[in-house]
Amino acid sequence: MTHSAKHIHVRLVVGSAVVIVSMLLLTFSAAAQRKTAHKAPNNRAAKPPAQVRAVNAEEMQALLKRDGKRPLLVNYWATWCDPCRDEFPDLVKIDRDYRAKGLDFIAITLDDLSDINTAVPKFLLAMNAKMPVYLLSVADPEPAINMVDSNWSGALPATFLYDNTGKVVYKHFGRVNPGELRAELEKLVGSKQ
Amino acid sequence: MKKLAAISLMITMLAVALLVNARPIVADIPAPPIIGSTISDFTLPDASGAAHTLASLHGKNGTVLIFIATQCPVSNGYNERMEKLAQDFKARGINVVGINANSTESAADVKDHAAKNNLTFTILKDNGNKVADMLGASRTPEAYFLDASNKLLYHGRIDNSRDITQVNSSELRDALEATLSGKPVPKATANAFGCSIKRGGE
Repeated sequence: MTHSAKHIHVRLVVGSAVVIVSMLLLTFSAAAQRKTAHKAPNNRAAKPPAQVRAVNAEEMQALLKRDGKRPLLVNYWATWCDPCRDEFPDLVKIDRDYRAKGLDFIAITLDDLSDINTAVPKFLLAMNAKMPVYLLSVADPEPAINMVDSNWSGALPATFLYDNTGKVVYKHFGRVNPGELRAELEKLVGSKQ
Repeated sequence: MKKLAAISLMITMLAVALLVNARPIVADIPAPPIIGSTISDFTLPDASGAAHTLASLHGKNGTVLIFIATQCPVSNGYNERMEKLAQDFKARGINVVGINANSTESAADVKDHAAKNNLTFTILKDNGNKVADMLGASRTPEAYFLDASNKLLYHGRIDNSRDITQVNSSELRDALEATLSGKPVPKATANAFGCSIKRGGE
């Protein structure tokens, strides 16, 4: 073996070792993440129900940000929207079933600001909803709609599922099919049970 | 440095693998026609069952098609504004036509609703969402402005707020005014929150 061939051989060995170590590190960090997600406190119980906070478009954008840990389900709805009300019990069940498995779920209502202490909490209490709920209060809805999805017309309800990096992995306009949504959730958080 | 490069390559490969693994996102509603495309003629019955074609309804300077509902509070918030739009532009050669594509609202509901809310413009019943699908309509209210040759010039909301006291931009009206003055439409699309059109089978 020539000197340069030996050099290449050493490089290959070192290179392979780096690849193996990186893979191991990634596996361990993923496992650690799963453990954290599994141990994450179930904040349903701690949160008083039916408190709704008004947010503007920038604050809403911040709510959608992910830190690489938990995926996020977002439902846009309003008390005046029939299919929104119809699907809400399914969403409350999904929140109950998946929050402890590592899913964050927020509901964003497009009700009028004047309903924030009346119609909205009344509905949420009746639904026994425990997920954080925000009311988007904007003079012009278009920038907020486009920020969420340029293909969204603003029709309610609309549901978006983001992975832990903030990438949309599933979206649905109109009343959700709970089976279909649960199948998508299983792909994201099902293994973290 | 080469070790760093190897690690970066490794991470990139993993990222690519994850991306390739991602599922396609399925859209349920057909995409709307692009601005500038010509809308084909169609035939729909009104609430009394009489058939109308787009050709028979369009004004000499254009047509406004608005998907409306009898039960949606957003659409209902616009009843007076839609009627006023129809009145204001009738004499100027632009006809306003309502379309109800909700499978949950019958022709009789549409007739009652129009009478109760003094809506005098023609309202068509789009059973089976034929025209809603052709136009990619998804919510109420949702407006389409076609010029004299049925070219789509504007698609979207009527204005920025269902609360008339909060209105500060009227994109649909602006599109009509611009076209009547021979100017380009200033803003060809704009969205707002509204009720989903209840398509058949939902």
